[in-house]
Amino acid sequence: MTDDCGSQHCITCGDIATAMTVLRVDVDGLALCEAEDGTREMVQIALVDPVRAADRLLVHAGTALAHQGGDPCEIR
Amino acid sequence: MRFVDEFRDAELGRAVAGQILSLVEPGRHYKVMEVCGGHTHSIYKYGIDDLLPANVELVHGPGCPVCVIPMGRVDDGISVAHHDGVIFTCFGDMMRVPGSDGSLLDAKAAGADIRMVYSPLDALRIARQNPEREVVFFAIGFETTAPSTALTLKRARAEGVTNFSVMCSHVTIVPPLRALLESPDLRLDGFIGPGHVSTVVGARPFEFIPADYGRPVVISGFEPLDILQGIEMILCQLATGRCEVENQYKRVVPYEGNLRALEVMAEVFELRPHFEWRGLGFISHSGLKLTDAYAELDAEARFNVPGLRVADPKACQCGEVLKGVIKPWECKVFGTACTPERPIGTCMVSSEGACAAYYNFGRFAREREVV
Repeated sequence: MTDDCGSQHCITCGDIATAMTVLRVDVDGLALCEAEDGTREMVQIALVDPVRAADRLLVHAGTALAHQGGDPCEIR
Repeated sequence: MRFVDEFRDAELGRAVAGQILSLVEPGRHYKVMEVCGGHTHSIYKYGIDDLLPANVELVHGPGCPVCVIPMGRVDDGISVAHHDGVIFTCFGDMMRVPGSDGSLLDAKAAGADIRMVYSPLDALRIARQNPEREVVFFAIGFETTAPSTALTLKRARAEGVTNFSVMCSHVTIVPPLRALLESPDLRLDGFIGPGHVSTVVGARPFEFIPADYGRPVVISGFEPLDILQGIEMILCQLATGRCEVENQYKRVVPYEGNLRALEVMAEVFELRPHFEWRGLGFISHSGLKLTDAYAELDAEARFNVPGLRVADPKACQCGEVLKGVIKPWECKVFGTACTPERPIGTCMVSSEGACAAYYNFGRFAREREVV
């Protein structure tokens, strides 16, 4: 739970996924990832393999659901 | 910040709002439902509804994972938590959801060993650290969260962790949408489809909405420009007579979803015949349970779960809010007896709940209007 914008905001309950950067890939299907605010956690990567250091992943409840790619400027 | 700043550009937001204005017909009232609680939170947080024409109304849908858990299910969780030797784990907001006789947080205060976790993986770690105790994970959430639970169950089995089990309360998004579309008291013109659920399930499961009910769906991201563009795409479909599923959130949502996640879910979960949703009642094939192959990790098989059914408090109108029939502020107890500090209904518990989101952000704009 984070204190987001003054409200107790549970990103896991809220179905909110967080963009994280891969710092290190372990051999057991886990990767050490870091969020923009510096928070680090071990993340399950079985659903998005192959994963390399510096990849950006969309993470929810400790599991990466997608690679975050595409052009952020695609919006008109 | 890349992938964030681009989607909070105020000038671009005003431009999209201008496009929206050009698409609406004067005299026609548009009702667009945002399915996901994350969208509801963003809409109030960024004041997106203030940028819309008065005849475009956003209706808040049932996509807050905490809000749809019925009181009886909370009571079941508390019952399991009170078993000797059990460490009961759940996500943060779930701790505060009221049951018929208090919340999990109240049960913790009364002595039950209930711990907040960020992920099912955290619960599995607690199980490894406490081999003499039974560790139960209360699994809630839509298809966004279910793959994480499924992977963790596979991991528990592979590691031979036998003191870990899951009380599965995962739900699926399509059945409640179909129930809402069948509801005679709700007329909707289109849907902002769920962003992160669609990362897993893809866009295809929503094709029945335009095909069977003639309503457009635009899967959208959660940043302000994502939502504004999603609304603009819905109105564009309506203005041009198109009706289809479109994907505004292509940067993370593939049309086919995450096939590996779907495979893992199919291996670990199966649909329950019925599952009770807060405010919506029992909906067929809308909840998940563990397959027989994972029965030894099913907390409901391991413990005596009473399976209670408890009626919502009479004063609480979460059901009408979840169906979009009333606005949060139209509930009799909103902001008085029911606040985020002391919620009566689940919509006030999670910040993705329409009532809490409105209480925290939207009411200030409305108060200005009233003055």
